[in-house]
Amino acid sequence: MKKLVNRACDYVDEMLEGLVLAHPSLALDGEAKRVVRRAQGMRAGKVGIVSGGGSGHLPLFTGYVGRGLLDTCSIGNVFEGPNVASCMEAIKLASSGAGVLLLYGNYGGDRMNFDMASEMLKLDGIETRTVLGTDDIASAAPQDIQKRRGVAGIVYAYKVAGAAAEVGDDLAEVARVAQKAVDATRTIGIALAACQVPGADKPTFAIDDNEIEMGIGIHGEPGIWRDTLRPADAVAGEMIERLLAEKPTGSGNRVSILVNSLGATPLEELFILYRKVASLLKERGLEIVQPLVGPYVTSMEMAGASISVCFLDGELERLLAAPAECPFWRVG
Amino acid sequence: MIGASELQRAAVRAHAAMANLEQELNAADAKLGDGDTGGMLARVVERLASVEVNDGDDLGKTFGTYARVAAATTGSSLGTLFATALLVFGNVTRGRTTLDASEFGPILGEACDAMLKRGQSQLGDKTVIDVIDAVSKAVLGKADWLALAAAAREQSSATLNLFRDLPCKIGRARMFGDKSRGLDDPGMLAFVRLVDAVSPAY
Repeated sequence: MKKLVNRACDYVDEMLEGLVLAHPSLALDGEAKRVVRRAQGMRAGKVGIVSGGGSGHLPLFTGYVGRGLLDTCSIGNVFEGPNVASCMEAIKLASSGAGVLLLYGNYGGDRMNFDMASEMLKLDGIETRTVLGTDDIASAAPQDIQKRRGVAGIVYAYKVAGAAAEVGDDLAEVARVAQKAVDATRTIGIALAACQVPGADKPTFAIDDNEIEMGIGIHGEPGIWRDTLRPADAVAGEMIERLLAEKPTGSGNRVSILVNSLGATPLEELFILYRKVASLLKERGLEIVQPLVGPYVTSMEMAGASISVCFLDGELERLLAAPAECPFWRVG
Repeated sequence: MIGASELQRAAVRAHAAMANLEQELNAADAKLGDGDTGGMLARVVERLASVEVNDGDDLGKTFGTYARVAAATTGSSLGTLFATALLVFGNVTRGRTTLDASEFGPILGEACDAMLKRGQSQLGDKTVIDVIDAVSKAVLGKADWLALAAAAREQSSATLNLFRDLPCKIGRARMFGDKSRGLDDPGMLAFVRLVDAVSPAY
């Protein structure tokens, strides 16, 4: 697989250097330069919001650092969690006395490192709360929802928590609305072609040219089924059926939809999917609010898409509509 | 008894061994994972081997330095579990310059408890902790390091074989269910190979 790189071992560091050069609202920090923070720094008394994870998913995670979203982000090697040191640095940089929310996907390495960092910083008097993204419905059964992994739907939690923190809500409140957004969001993905970690000698998984895999994870974790490729409308139909089958109890009729590219799938195909999604949701009596279509959480050059549904209530809808701005997403 | 210089010798042996193990571990990981376990461990062990250690150094500080170096080199689950175990050894041996073979098993058992807590996992999940736990029990009562190393080699290989046909129950591999049967967990395999590599140091 061809890639525009210099040396595979420099992939992440050179990407980060370019990212902050292109977007002056971001700054690189930390001893190993594996923390991205808002260039203007923290506002005193504001709850900090930290995320982090492995590289290879831009705009996730670092691309969502900005006003009304994240404050800092620790970043690891491709598909490898950020190390404890960078997690500690990210938390410290986001701390301005009001506590720090750790908001990241439910992956073993990320969880261990943020937990260890959080325990170490507790000795320094930094209070943290953790909310884990668990929106991938294909990664565990409904009764094991706590085992599910976080994928594209985590951007809703970023947005909601960021809005609450921006207006001065305290840590408990910011954590509450973040968890509410996680609980209200469901995602499922499909893959048409694999990606390859720089330096690896083969793609992360094998899939034939005429195949599609339903439910695949953003690192190529196995999905629900694999079969011959079918028309976009049929794919969208099954994805929506699966997502609506897990509609949270008591949710209303307003939803936000994210139709996300995993990297190589173009906007044209995302809009073909969205067209069908919008039609299906209308048939089911659901009204779409603030649709998002584009590459929000990718896996480098993986071909495929994910669809996330965030089931809204008045509070989530208000926080979703609040002003926010980062290099890859602007609201208001 | 071993001291800081023996730890350094073990790190250097592990580093030398990784030249041959890196691709084997990458290949084992690639069957269900990203295929980077060998590369990640090679980076960690290279950094550990480069830590400057002097004869008579405080063992607790040496283990602590190794833990910090490991944690700073990788964010992977396996690397973080490794750092967690090193921290336990560091805490127990703080202020001391030697460690008796008879103390090793109980401390390793304590390290297993810490790793299980850190990883929110259980024995039987088919992770590196299963093989470390088995070794911690097998070396109990061994009064000299040669006997301890022999018991560790034997038990680690036996445990790897025992778990090979069982399914993984945690992490990415759990999602493959029965497809994980018949495959070695790459963390377990790494531990077994590194036990073989560092044992001659004693």
